[in-house]
Amino acid sequence: MMKGAADRISHRPKWKKVAYGGMQPGYNDNYSDESFLEAMVMNANVVKRDLFKVMQDSVSISQYLCIVALVISVWIHTLGSVIDETSLLKLDVGLLALGFSVLLLTTSQLSQQLLSRYLLNISFFISGLYILAPIYHTLTRSISSDSIYALTVSLLVVHLFLHDYSGSTIRPPGALNNPTLASNISLNASIVASVLVASRLPSRLHVFAIMFFSLQIFLFAPLIAFCIKKYSFRLHMWFSFALMIMTLSVVFQLHRMLFVLLLGLLVFVSVVCPYWLIRIQEYKFEINGPWDEAKLCFDITE
Amino acid sequence: MDERRRHRILMVSDFFYPNFGGVENHIYYLSQCLLKLGHKVVVMTHAYGKRSGVRYMTGGLKVYYVPWRPFIMQNTLPTFYLTLPIIRNIIVRERITVVHGHQAFSTLCHEALMHARTMGYKVVFTDHSLYGFADVGSIHMNKVLQFTLADVDQAICVSHTSKENTVLRSGILPEKVFVIPNAVDTAMFTPAPNRLSCDEIVIVVISRLVYRKGADLLVEVIPEVCRLFSNVRFIVGGDGPKRVRLEEMREKYSLQDRVDMLGAVPHAQVRSVLISGHIFLNSSLTEAFCIAILEAASCGLLTVSTRVGGVPEVLPDDMIVLAEPAPGDMVWAIRKAIFMLPSIDPHVMHLRMKSLYSWHDVAKRTEIVYDRALQSSEKNLLQRLPRYLKCGAWAGKLFCLVMIVNFLLVRLLELWQPVKSIEEVPDMPLVQHQEEEIEHDYDEAQKKS
Repeated sequence: MMKGAADRISHRPKWKKVAYGGMQPGYNDNYSDESFLEAMVMNANVVKRDLFKVMQDSVSISQYLCIVALVISVWIHTLGSVIDETSLLKLDVGLLALGFSVLLLTTSQLSQQLLSRYLLNISFFISGLYILAPIYHTLTRSISSDSIYALTVSLLVVHLFLHDYSGSTIRPPGALNNPTLASNISLNASIVASVLVASRLPSRLHVFAIMFFSLQIFLFAPLIAFCIKKYSFRLHMWFSFALMIMTLSVVFQLHRMLFVLLLGLLVFVSVVCPYWLIRIQEYKFEINGPWDEAKLCFDITE
Repeated sequence: MDERRRHRILMVSDFFYPNFGGVENHIYYLSQCLLKLGHKVVVMTHAYGKRSGVRYMTGGLKVYYVPWRPFIMQNTLPTFYLTLPIIRNIIVRERITVVHGHQAFSTLCHEALMHARTMGYKVVFTDHSLYGFADVGSIHMNKVLQFTLADVDQAICVSHTSKENTVLRSGILPEKVFVIPNAVDTAMFTPAPNRLSCDEIVIVVISRLVYRKGADLLVEVIPEVCRLFSNVRFIVGGDGPKRVRLEEMREKYSLQDRVDMLGAVPHAQVRSVLISGHIFLNSSLTEAFCIAILEAASCGLLTVSTRVGGVPEVLPDDMIVLAEPAPGDMVWAIRKAIFMLPSIDPHVMHLRMKSLYSWHDVAKRTEIVYDRALQSSEKNLLQRLPRYLKCGAWAGKLFCLVMIVNFLLVRLLELWQPVKSIEEVPDMPLVQHQEEEIEHDYDEAQKKS
C-alpha cells in the first residue's frame, strides 16, 4: 500500500515553478513545493557594527552638543551682563578669523576667487545684521521674558533633534548633496532662538554682537567641524575632546545641575547609545527575495 | 448544474472599469467566465465620476457603483465601518455566498471582506501585487493585509513569487494560498495577418512611463541599441512623468526618426500598436505577473523582459528573453532576441499562447477555490478572535477591538433593518442561457409532436 502511494508520487511529473499551461497535472493550485521560499535571503545587507567604531562616530554628536552648550553659556553670561559688548565683539572677530584660518588650512579647493566671494558675502551679512539690529532689539518687547526663554529652549531642542550631525547644512565647497529638509528646519529653529535671546538684551550693539556670534556658530561651526573631520580624523578627535573638557568646565562654573545634566547627556550619547545600538542589532530581521523592486545600478540625473 | 455547486459571488475592489489596468481586466474576464459556468456574479466598486448606481455589462454582469468618492489613486477613504450598511444590503439583496476581494491596496476590498466575515460569509482574497518589507508604506500595507488575511478562508495569488511574498507578508498558511495566474483574451490579441519583413526591426514598448516600470532603463538602453543596430526602430506607447526624460534622450542622440513616442495608448488600440512590431520590450523593476507580456506574446511578438518578480514564470523559455535589470544585460538580451527573430512565427506563437492561457481555465480553477472556501468550517466571533490576537502585540489587540465593534454594529444594524426586510433581487437568466433554453424547449416540443 505504502509502496503504491510512493510509486504514484514518483510517477507524477515534476512540479515546475511556472504560471503558464494551466493547472499542473498531479498538483493542486495550493501546492507548496520544497523549493517554496528558496530564493529568500535573510539579513543580506546587514552591516556588522563594531562598538568602538560606533563610539568614535558618536563623538561628532557630543562635539556639537558641546558647541551648543557653549553658545548657551555665552547667552546666559551676556544676559547676566558678565560679558560686555566689546569683549563679545572681540570674540566675534576672533572666531571669524579662526574659522577662516581653519577653512584655509583644511580645504584644498579654496581659490582666490572663492575666498573673495566669501569675504564679500560676509561683509554683506555683517552690514545687514547691523542694520537689522534695532528691529531685533524691539521685536519681542510686548512678550514676557518667561515665554521667550521657554520658546528658546524648545526651539533649541528642535534644533538639536533635527540637526544633521553627519554633514553640514551649509555646504562645504565642492559638496554634491543638497541639505535635507530636516536640517534646514533645524537651522531655522536655531536662528529664531538667537533672535529671541537677542531681543532681551539692553542695547543695539549687544544685539548685533550676540546675533553675529550665534549666527556664526550655528551657520559655520558644523561646516568647520566637518572640514576638520574630513582633513584628519585624529585632529577631529583631539579637537572634540578639548572642546568637551572646555565646555564641561565652563558649565561647571555656571551651574552644578546643568553640569551634571550635560555630563549625563554626553555619557549617554557616546557610551550608552552605541552599546544599545550594538545590542539591538541582533533583533535585526531583513528579508529580501525575487519580489523586491530592482535597484537601478546607475545614477538617474534629472 | 445543481444548486449546491452554484456560487453567488460578490467581487469587490476599488479598481474596475472604466478605470483600466491588470486588476480591472482580471475581475472582468473572471466574472464573465464564471457567469458562463453558471454562477451568479455581482461586482462592487466605488463610483467613477458620474457613473454611480447599478449598471449591467456584457453577459448580464451586474455592477454596483457604490456612491463613495475615491480620494487618492482611485481609493476610497478608509472609514472602517461606514460602508457596512451598503455592503450588508448588497450581500443580502443578491443572496451572496462568497465574497471575493481583489488587490491589497483597495480599501473597499478590505472593508467588504471584514464585514462579510463578521456577517459569517465565506471570503476569498486575490493579491495582485508585490511588496517589499523595508519602507514605511510597505510596513503599513503589510499590517493591513495581515488583518484581512488573518481570517480569510482562501487566498489567491497571480504567480508563485507573489504567493511567497504574500505568505511572508501576512503569515497565512501556504496551503491556504492558491496560485492562479492571469490570462489573456487570445481572441482579441491576434497577430498581424501578414508577416512583417525583417529588414527593419521594430521594438515596441507599451507601459506607463514611471520609475517602477523602468523608464530610466529605457533611457539607457534605447540609444545603445540604436547605435549597435542601424535597422532597429522603437515605438514607445504610454505616458507618465518619465516621458520628458525619454524625449530628452531622443533629442540628445538625434533619434527622432527612429523612436516614435505615441503617448498614452487606449487599451482598444494596444493590439494595433503591438502588431506593428517584432519584439516587445518590458523594463519593469517590479511585477507580480505582467499581463502586457501575455498580450504581446499573443500577438506573436518575441518578448524581452527584465527578470523581476513573477516575470520568469509567465512564459516558456523559448518565448521570452530575460535579462537582469541593468542596461548592459538588457542590450545583450535584445541582441539575442534580434538573432532569434527569423525563427519566430507569430502565428505559431499565438496558437501556443491559446493553449497556455485561457480565462476559462482561470475561472475553473477559481471555482475550486470557492468550493474549498464553502467547505471550511463555520466559526463564531470568539473562535475567530485568537487569529487576530496572533497578528502582533499591539496590532493584535487593536484588530480584535475593530472586529468586536464591527460585530456589535452588525447586530445593531440587524435590529434597525432586519435581513427579512431587505428585498431580494430576482435572478435574471443570462441572455445566452435563454437562447439555449428556447432551443431546448423547441427540441422537446418537436419530439413530442
